[in-house]
Amino acid sequence: MTTQHKSKSLSRKEKFRDRLIEIIGADGVISSDDELIAYECDALTGYRIKPIFVVLPNSAEEVSAVIKECYKENIPYVPRGAGTGLSGGALPTEEGIVISLSRMNKILDVDIPNQRVVVEPGVVNLWVTDAVSSSGYYYAPDPSSQIVCTIGGNVAENSGGVHCLKYGVTTNHVLGVEMVLPDGEIIEVGGKTLDHPGYDLTGLVVGSEGLLGVVTKVALKIINKPEAVKTLFASFDHIEDAGAAVSGITVRGVIPAGMEIMDSFCIRAVEEAVGAGYPVDAGAILLVELDGPTAEVEALLPIVEEVLKENNAIQIKVAKDAKERELLWKGRKNAFPAMGRISSDYYVQDGVIPRSKLAEVLGEIGELSKKYGLRVANVFHAGDGNLHPLVLYDSSKEGDLDKTLELSGEILQVCVDKGGSITGEHGVGHDKKRFLSLMFDEEDLDAMNLVRCAFDVKGLCNPGKLFPTPRTCVEPGMKPFKEHPLQKAGLGEMY
Amino acid sequence: MLKKNIINNLLRIVGEKNALTEEAELKSFSVDDVLPEIVLFPNEVEQVSEIMKLASKESLSVLPWGSGTKSALGNKPDRADIVLSTKNLDRIVEHGASDLVTTTQCGITLKKFQSILNKENQFLALDPPHVGRKATVGGIIAANDSGPERLRYGTAREFLIGLKVVSADGTIFKGGSKVVKNVAGYDLPKLYVGSLGTLGIIVEATFRLYPVPEYSETYLVSFPTLEDAHGAVMTLLNSDIVITSLEILNPELISSLAKRNDLDIKDDQYTLAIGIKNVEKAVKDQVSTVKTLCDQNGGKGKVISGVQEEKFWDDIRDFPWKLFKTTRVVCKASVLLTQIPQVLETLKRLSDENGIKTYISARAGNGILIISIKGEPSSMIESLNSLRAFVSSIGGHLIIQEAPCEIKAGVSVWGDFGSGLGIMKKIKFNFDPDNLLNPGRFIT
Ligand SMILES: Cc1cc2nc3c(=O)[nH]c(=O)nc-3n(C[C@H](O)[C@H](O)[C@H](O)COP(=O)(O)OP(=O)(O)OC[C@H]3O[C@@H](n4cnc5c(N)ncnc54)[C@H](O)[C@@H]3O)c2cc1C
Repeated sequence: MTTQHKSKSLSRKEKFRDRLIEIIGADGVISSDDELIAYECDALTGYRIKPIFVVLPNSAEEVSAVIKECYKENIPYVPRGAGTGLSGGALPTEEGIVISLSRMNKILDVDIPNQRVVVEPGVVNLWVTDAVSSSGYYYAPDPSSQIVCTIGGNVAENSGGVHCLKYGVTTNHVLGVEMVLPDGEIIEVGGKTLDHPGYDLTGLVVGSEGLLGVVTKVALKIINKPEAVKTLFASFDHIEDAGAAVSGITVRGVIPAGMEIMDSFCIRAVEEAVGAGYPVDAGAILLVELDGPTAEVEALLPIVEEVLKENNAIQIKVAKDAKERELLWKGRKNAFPAMGRISSDYYVQDGVIPRSKLAEVLGEIGELSKKYGLRVANVFHAGDGNLHPLVLYDSSKEGDLDKTLELSGEILQVCVDKGGSITGEHGVGHDKKRFLSLMFDEEDLDAMNLVRCAFDVKGLCNPGKLFPTPRTCVEPGMKPFKEHPLQKAGLGEMY
Repeated sequence: MLKKNIINNLLRIVGEKNALTEEAELKSFSVDDVLPEIVLFPNEVEQVSEIMKLASKESLSVLPWGSGTKSALGNKPDRADIVLSTKNLDRIVEHGASDLVTTTQCGITLKKFQSILNKENQFLALDPPHVGRKATVGGIIAANDSGPERLRYGTAREFLIGLKVVSADGTIFKGGSKVVKNVAGYDLPKLYVGSLGTLGIIVEATFRLYPVPEYSETYLVSFPTLEDAHGAVMTLLNSDIVITSLEILNPELISSLAKRNDLDIKDDQYTLAIGIKNVEKAVKDQVSTVKTLCDQNGGKGKVISGVQEEKFWDDIRDFPWKLFKTTRVVCKASVLLTQIPQVLETLKRLSDENGIKTYISARAGNGILIISIKGEPSSMIESLNSLRAFVSSIGGHLIIQEAPCEIKAGVSVWGDFGSGLGIMKKIKFNFDPDNLLNPGRFIT
């Protein structure tokens, strides 16, 4: 690059920064190298890219003004919540900016009688429940990261949690969003009321991994706390038995609030970290939570106990009170961080399989672990068949990471072969895009691209994510784009 | 008129016995008096694809069709060359009973689908109208139809986890997956719920299922005033009682229902129907709490169960279609659940002022009101426009679900699509650039 060229590009960058400062103010634009480092990656720390700037807007209007500027200058941007994503969704783009929603963190409307809460995207998941708990309500999706992750991130990833089996994931609790489209227009889709006319854009935006626009407001549904809750704990010698028990419970017509399995690696790590009272010599433990009307819980409890026994449970315990119950869950919710105690590095997968194949697949993962000579720990949302195999490795050991990635890929292939999915809640992001083709043919991906192109024809919003190969909006082989009637009539610009 | 060679090509795809071309036969496939030129009943997904390839080559408009129970929903179509019925695509592809997941072709009737699932003590948690009139699974998804049990289970978007679609140009693609939890790629199934056939023909659907609840009872209770009835609703919704369906029925509706069902309850008051399904003991316990809470609020009622209960809910699900067999005007208002009384009062006022009669079943826990109106066409048009103005002023929506053409000419069917309309149009354009699918009926 010639000096002249460089100074020209620098000045363009500087001009752009000045515009951003005009929009948000100097304290809302980060441009110094040492501060930018914090935004280089999300919780998938293996990939890092430094953004040119980070902006911290305070309102939808500021987000819109920033995006209009990006649109004009063709600068890509990545929305960011708390950066706890595990698929590299918030990984910055080369020569792009990061739009952090952390300052937009107000709860705007708590409407108990209508069972709705409206929040800005930077609101932390747990704050929603905190805001409504004293009225007897809660916000159901509860990712283990809920004390830090944001509603905006949850919406983008369609996050799950440990109580999704019965109550569903984020998409089942989001009723509408306000968002800034990639051309800067602010639109509202859905809202506090149900059945808005038109396509379900809310449903499309949830789980779109920040590729369709920047969400600036979210309308959520809250639900009543159940009358009764019972948490059962069972230990097993073999993880396959725990898996079979999970399938057995639903086959008997019982849908618990959640069912979680942890294997022996996790049990030991968790015990050391938080002392949840799990038996350290067990091969696996299963947590089952039943909730609902007292009489229902009492009727289902013996059925669950019976299935556990049929599947060789060694110890079965029912938490006596809220305190015991919390302790049991504390172990589960701290499982990821605790793994740091038994391995310097780990790599999380997020595959899904039909519940009935749990025992079989857990066996196959064990075999793969042996084949690669890498330990694999399992802690997962068993009720939904959502596996989180953690491949334990040592980044200082040459070749270990490559082997880890290869093993993880094989695990995902097993999931897809069993009729499952490559990701149940963490998203495709940067990390799993190469695996998306295991599930979807070119035609399927084309259909998804038609959606993306309806929103973001320039491909500036979180580009390079999700799709296995970059796709533009007018690509050979794709349907030729005709002139839109609006455009023909001179009413809309080329999109 | 379609050219002879096009007709022949279409007939060649499905076979002559799977097509109708005689005017007399075509009549029952007209949409708002627009008559198609040919009705096709493909037997295979591949044939659907062949039809769409030909349609897009020749620019033929296509109205996707299940059993036609919702053909009155939407605007009058701009044109209708082909009605493409999915009726013969009625095979269950796989039923993973132990996973509570099923994949089916979309032309299957909900009735048949449920009866197959019921053998495993499972069901699809949708209780829309028209099941007796052969509503198909595909049509229910496309129209996003639901019933009173949406309070407990939600709508199709909550359990449609995967689908296969034939797009306007004949491409076959899929979205979602066959497992209950999946975030790989965009959630295309959501886009197709309520797309009214405008984005492609849904040929296969994968659903999450539920176990059939063991027992059911309903408390039917009338209140001296609307305020009392709604007070009881708010108390119930703010409790930990798990209610399956909760309807407020206006006096006009309850009086018609009472006669049909030998209900023997006051027929001139607002009435609540509170249905609870669960294990038997939980139902009994909760119904008894419900009774206490309602009666404290001035309610007087009775518990119904068994055949009588089933018949009653059948009527609510199929309201107003079972009650009124001809010339129906049906609309759906959606507001916040605390705003339901305001809508009911507005409707009462409009009835008095305009000399119309309104029958209303309000999904009290969802803020949805199913409204049927009778009267002179001009009064109905005036009332519907006033109602929409009121509902919009409080942030809600009004959709006309069924009405004769002369009413549709005076009231917008869909109302305001909101600020998302631009994106909706672009999606429609990207998926159907030649506007072949249900042109004019919905998003265009
Ligand atoms: C210890 C740990 C436990 C976890 N447990 C779970 C779990 O149980 N279940 C689960 O589902 N996930 C879990 N996760 C993953 C992660 O917490 C979730 O994906 C979460 O939703 C991310 O939220 P965030 O605010 O950190 O988003 P970020 O990581 O900042 O961003 C995630 C994605 O959202 C986009 N985004 C963020 N805000 C917006 C916005 N306003 N508009 C548009 N796009 C936006 C980003 O571009 C990115 O693609 C866990 C992560 C960790 C580290």
